[in-house]
Amino acid sequence: MSGTLGFKLARVAVVVAVFLLWETLSRTGIVNPRLLPSASDSLAMLGELLQRASVRNDLLVTASEVLTAFILAVPLGALIGFLIAENRYFADVAKPLLFFAFSIPKSIFLPMFILVFGVGFAEKVGYGFFSTIFIVIMSTTAAVESVKIEHLTVARSYGATTAQTAFRVYLPSMLPVLLEALRISMIFNLTGVMLAEMYASRNGFGHQIATWGENFQMKQLLAGVVMISVIAIAFNELIRWIETRCSHWRT
Amino acid sequence: MQPLANITPLKPASRAGAVEIRGVGQVFKTSTQDVTALEDVSMEVKPGRFVVLVGPSGCGKSTLLMMMAGLRQQTSGTVLINGAPIPKPDPNRVGVVFQEASLFPWLTAEENIEFPLTLRGTPKVERRAKAQDALKLVGLDGFGKRHPHELSGGMKQRVSIARGLVQDPPVLLMDEPFAALDEQTRMTMGDELLRIWAATGKTVVFVTHSLTEAVYLADEVVVMSARPGRIVDHLTVSLPRPRTYEMLSGDVFGSLRDRIWRHIRKSA
Ligand SMILES: Nc1ncnc2c1ncn2[C@@H]1O[C@H](COP(=O)(O)OP(=O)(O)OP(=O)(O)O)[C@@H](O)[C@H]1O
Ligand SMILES: [Mg+2]
Repeated sequence: MSGTLGFKLARVAVVVAVFLLWETLSRTGIVNPRLLPSASDSLAMLGELLQRASVRNDLLVTASEVLTAFILAVPLGALIGFLIAENRYFADVAKPLLFFAFSIPKSIFLPMFILVFGVGFAEKVGYGFFSTIFIVIMSTTAAVESVKIEHLTVARSYGATTAQTAFRVYLPSMLPVLLEALRISMIFNLTGVMLAEMYASRNGFGHQIATWGENFQMKQLLAGVVMISVIAIAFNELIRWIETRCSHWRT
Repeated sequence: MQPLANITPLKPASRAGAVEIRGVGQVFKTSTQDVTALEDVSMEVKPGRFVVLVGPSGCGKSTLLMMMAGLRQQTSGTVLINGAPIPKPDPNRVGVVFQEASLFPWLTAEENIEFPLTLRGTPKVERRAKAQDALKLVGLDGFGKRHPHELSGGMKQRVSIARGLVQDPPVLLMDEPFAALDEQTRMTMGDELLRIWAATGKTVVFVTHSLTEAVYLADEVVVMSARPGRIVDHLTVSLPRPRTYEMLSGDVFGSLRDRIWRHIRKSA
């Protein structure tokens, strides 16, 4: 298993090594420090940035966009996915189309979102929603299909009502796949919102990162990258932790 | 108020555990053609008997069992359990043990066994007590807290049997319950099932592809033919009980198995 102490130490060692390499390359001047400020300087900058009201405000803007898009896309996508999976006709018609839609890079639609919504909250939420919903629909369909027909027959033969079948068979069967879906959707969602902010925006953390890049403020840029990475990893790990707690029975 | 004791019961108690199939037919309508899965099937199982259904693959054994369980409605004819029709599943009359590992993997063994009781809102204490009794009956005392993936194939089917019996229905239906087990486990499970059957006095209708298993377990063997599914023979196994391993090599056993095999070879 991945939990043994030895593996954990090795992982920490890899991360430390990356930071050390970064520090050395910059300090020794092998890579121009203006291009790659040292790890310690960048981390110090991160601390400083977190004190700034403007940065905190940008983070808040981004967080609200991400959450809004997520809260809209996940239930709606789950509902559509469920209906598709439960209805043969719907499934036959919609499934190939969804695969088509899923294969198109979503970013090419970003200019249209700007034209329709203008630059602002609605555009970014809309684009985040659009980036997320297809993966939610597809994962939910997969989750419904992971419900075993034998289990449904068992429930029926012991006289389960529709609600009992939903809560005692569908839900526990689907839970592991649904949590996985939630985790992956957040990655798509965050990517969508950040991209929209970097492309055209007046605020938000993505906009901030893009500005630092354009102005060649490498310390700030790297600090921003580290911050967003940590937030994304933390969310991901939280869901994974819930996943392992809920699906210990999966072998 | 009239004293309830004076009211004559509608169904005589002697019908409890009786399974009657009269002129049953089943036609499946598919997009290409109509499949006659069963045609004019009639049989009667007396209370407390162990009856085994055999027949070539696709002859409608599972379909017939589903009808007895109220999971499927026949296109024609009558199915009576305890002397009454079974328009929908009724766990008080019929317990079902399925082919594959049909246990819920997210529940422990005892929670799986309690499942039918949970659906009816039985209080937890009562549920637990009944599950413990059922676990003991199937020889799994002390394994209640394990999840299905922590149990062997044979143990899983023991849990399934316990789940089928937990509401104490007079009839137990089993669709190839031991098909996925290795030969040795299968033999042991056969003996275990006979022990449980003797202890509980249930009516058992059991489907299998193994002729040895059929003759070893049964009071009566019902042989079916395919396309359309019909009953071609109904024989009584007169071997004494308890059945023993030595009987397998005896003449009575051999001739019964041959007789069944000839029917199946003809119709396959
Ligand atoms: N839902 C259905 N729709 C159409 N045909 C069906 C359906 N269910 C069963 N059949 C057909 O009815 C016939 C009987 O099927 P059934 O599963 O009862 O056979 P079986 O005797 O249990 O077979 P096996 O020994 O392989 O389990 C088969 O020909 C099968 O193809
Ligand atoms: Mg079958």
